[in-house]
Order: sequence, then structure tokens, then C-alpha cells
Amino acid sequence: MIENLTPPATPEVLKQARYDFPILGRTVNGKPLIYLDNAASTQKPQSVIDSINRYYSHENANIHRGVHLLSTEATAAYEAARKKLAQYLNAGDESEIIFTRGATESVNLIAHSFLEPLIKPGEEILISHMEHHANIVPWQLLAERTGGRLRVAPIDDSGNLELDACLSMMGPKTKLVAIVHVSNAIGTVNPIEAIIAKARENGIATLIDCAQSIQHMPLDVQSMGCDFAVFSGHKMFGPTGIGGLYGKRSLLDKMRPYQGGGDMISHVKFDGTAFKEPPSRFEAGTPHIAGAIGLGVALDYIESIGRETICEYESQLIEYAVNRLRSCQGVEIVGNPEHRSGAISFIMESAHPHDIGTILDTEGVAIRTGHHCCEPLMNRFGISATARASIAFYNNSDDIDALVDSLAKVRALFG
Amino acid sequence: MRANLQSLYRETLIEQSRNPKNNYAIEGANRQSELKNQLCGDVVTIYLSVSGDRIEEASFEAQCCSICRASASMLTTRIAGSDSLSAISLAEALIAFLNAPESDIFDKDDSLQALSGVKAFTSRIRCATLPWEAFQKAIAE
Repeated sequence: MIENLTPPATPEVLKQARYDFPILGRTVNGKPLIYLDNAASTQKPQSVIDSINRYYSHENANIHRGVHLLSTEATAAYEAARKKLAQYLNAGDESEIIFTRGATESVNLIAHSFLEPLIKPGEEILISHMEHHANIVPWQLLAERTGGRLRVAPIDDSGNLELDACLSMMGPKTKLVAIVHVSNAIGTVNPIEAIIAKARENGIATLIDCAQSIQHMPLDVQSMGCDFAVFSGHKMFGPTGIGGLYGKRSLLDKMRPYQGGGDMISHVKFDGTAFKEPPSRFEAGTPHIAGAIGLGVALDYIESIGRETICEYESQLIEYAVNRLRSCQGVEIVGNPEHRSGAISFIMESAHPHDIGTILDTEGVAIRTGHHCCEPLMNRFGISATARASIAFYNNSDDIDALVDSLAKVRALFG
Repeated sequence: MRANLQSLYRETLIEQSRNPKNNYAIEGANRQSELKNQLCGDVVTIYLSVSGDRIEEASFEAQCCSICRASASMLTTRIAGSDSLSAISLAEALIAFLNAPESDIFDKDDSLQALSGVKAFTSRIRCATLPWEAFQKAIAE
């Protein structure tokens, strides 16, 4: 097979975008930083950094209930961020967006507030073999508490979900299908449309882990038709410690609170407490106000570039990266999915992933090595770890070339 | 300390990782311990055949990086045939030495100095100490 090794042209808007991220101008070990660890966390544009500074310099106050101006402004900014997220995901209503600390907490919230009261002993939760630990462990804990059963849809040797098997595992006992949209470890894009359609036919609730898709492609939760979608802010150019979930209002209305505390009650008496409507019911205590505001600014930033532009460019860049790594001596790509987004995992015969990571770091190239919080997936491929390069829209073909050149240094040392 | 690749991947270390000594399981080992580096998933198992105070035989199996493998090879070579107490002291001294950035208390001529390159790579120190920690766990059983 002749691979296309022509580097994709970077659109002008993305060439300029690189300069909006101050950290991309720094050096690492005396070399310019080549940041290819975006699946772990993306970098932040200056506008997001400035928004946090501005919030603490000019607007800081606790939200809701305050009568003074600062509190009113902070409340408005926090709620405006929720509205932006609702628009970004095309949720039917902004009350369908709950702020959490990130995708992990979102999954735990859904486990506690939605599924635990519903599931009976012997009933099932269906996940896939390529899930992140964040979409495995909360369900294992729930299964232990309730007598529920965790079932795992298989994947093939290329890292594609075995769709027919997955669909056939949905039955009368299935209460929830929780599937990753894009694999953080090997970049597989899953056919969530078919999964959601089958689940809906059978009255099964659906949760889509969008932690690795929301920053790479347009998402519309209404056209997807899922019941829940979860995501993390720091993987989409926003601050750490903030993220959220989308949940259908009809389900949120019936769900019990996640944590108890201030801001989630309508009134409290010692003989009983009444809870607020969604989304407040699920946001006990003072939230990460600055984080939510920063995340809202990150969404503005993404929209200013255009999600279609990002998606189209990144698909060319990831294809270029795959082709360059394929033609790289001694490198074996782990997983060859039909549809890929964001990430490529690879191993080398001569060097362990950690040795690759260390050598690349001395060249200024930041990648991730290890099991990527996907131990069952690693076991499926019979390996304990991979080296993973993952892109964002500010990366370009020079970054991929730097990665490939650095791998030559690994070969020089380890053969 | 500057991150120096040549200092990290010394020739002796690369050689030991490619051709590790004692890389097998001892059948009927009377001490055995598996240890995992939670940070990366690497796993090392140390096998010991101990008779009285003497370590008769030491070996390892591992799924790990070059530094960890070389370290396990050096460990098992060094402690086989030695008495338990001096092996325990050596493990303590080496782990302390590798974790202290400025410490040079370890014998300059000791072949274990080949591992000292990790001191400049904070994230890799555990790769070198993992087999020694597994040994501590095994001998304490």
C-alpha cells in the first residue's frame, strides 16, 4: 500500500491560533515544546487564562442568593457558561447541563443518582472493552452495591467495537449502555448512532463518554439521541477541575441528588428537606465558578475557529501521523480502527514505552506512555503499555515530523 | 541536576536490559513477591531461595522498561550468595541514594552507580527502585 506522506496544509486560522497558546512558545530541555499529549489535557488559550484572572480580579463572589453587585455578576457569568455549553451541545434546555469536576465525576453522579435506584439484582450495565477506567470502575462499584452485572462488548484485533455483538448484548435485563465515543488510548471512533438507536428501541438508557470527542468534532446531543453525555473541561482548552454532563430533563427530574449541601435545596427542615429542580439539585456547595467561566470562554474560542474546520483539519493531520508512523522503522501502531480521531498508540520492538517517552522528552516532544487508564484494553492487545501521541488543532505536520525524527534517536540508542 | 540521556542510558545499563541475568522464575522459591508501579503498570516479580540467613539464589520476571529490567538484573546478581541482612542494608542504601537528588553517599566505584542517571529524571526513579522494593517485600515475608 502506498501511504500518502504529503503533509496537510494548515488553514490560516489555525496557523494563527497556535500563537494564542502561550505555553506552546516555551522550551523543554532546551528544545521548543512539541505538545502531543492532548488526550491527557489540552493547553489553554490566552483568553481562557485572562478570563480566570479577570474573574478573581473583578468579579469574585459567591453565586446565587447574593444581593450585592459582585454576586449578581458572578451568578450571571456562571449561568452564562451553562447556557454556552447547552448551545454548544445543542441541548434542549440549559437546565440539562450539570457542572461537575469532570467526566469522572459525571459518570459517578449518573451511577449514584440515576442508575442505583433503578437497577435490580441480575440486571445489566453494558460497556465496551475499550473504556477508560472512569467508565468501568463506577459501574463495578455500583454492581457490587446492587447485585447488578457488568457486561463488556468485545472489540476486534484492529480496535473496532464488534457492533453486532454489542447490539446483541442489549436485552430485557440491560438498564444502561455506557460507551465511549472516542477511545482515549487508540483513537477509535465508535458507531454510537447505531448503539443509541438499538438502546432506544429497547427502552435502555444511554450514556456517551464524550471526553475525547467534544474537542474534536461537532456534537449535537438531540440528534445523537443519548440520555446522558459526559465531558471534561481541561480536555477542551478549559481549566482543570471543571466539566459536566448533559442529561435529558425528563430523567434529571426523576433523579435523586448526588451530594447534599447548600444551593441544592428549596427548603430545609429537620424533619425533611425539599430539593431544587435540576440543574441545582445536582450542584451542592459552592461550585468551581472561575472554572465554569473559563470553560465558557474556551467554548467561545473553539467556536471562533469553527468546529467543522477543526474536525476536517485534524482528520487530515491524524492520517498524516498514522502514515508517517507506519513508515517508521521498528514502530508498530496499536489498533487500526476504521474511524480514528485524536490519538495514536504505538510500541517499538526495541524500546519500552517509558524509554521512548523519556528520550522524546529530552527532544522537547511530550507524549504519554503507560496504560492510559485502559488496562483491560491493554490486556486485550497483550501489552502492558503503549506510547501515545494525541493531537489538537494547534498541532501541525512539523510536530508530527519532530515526533518521527525523535523516534530515530530511540532507535539509535536501543537499536 | 541536568537531565542527561547518556547518563541515564549508560552502556552497562542498556546491555543488562538487553541481556538480563537471572530472568526466570525459581521453581520452589521460598520467598516471592510481585510489585507493580501504579504510575505506569510495570510489574516485577522477585524470586528468592533463602536458606538460613543466606540468599542461595535470586531471580526475577518482569514486564517493564529498560531501567527496571537492568536494575532487576543487577539486584539479583548482587544479592545471590550474600547474607540476608547485608542485602537488606544494600537495598535500603540504594533506594535512599536514588531518591536523594544531591546525595553521593553511595560508593563511587560500585557498579550500581550505573543506575544513578535516574536521579535527574524524577519520573524514572521508581523504575530503578521497583525491583529493590519488591526484594524488600519478598525478604520480609
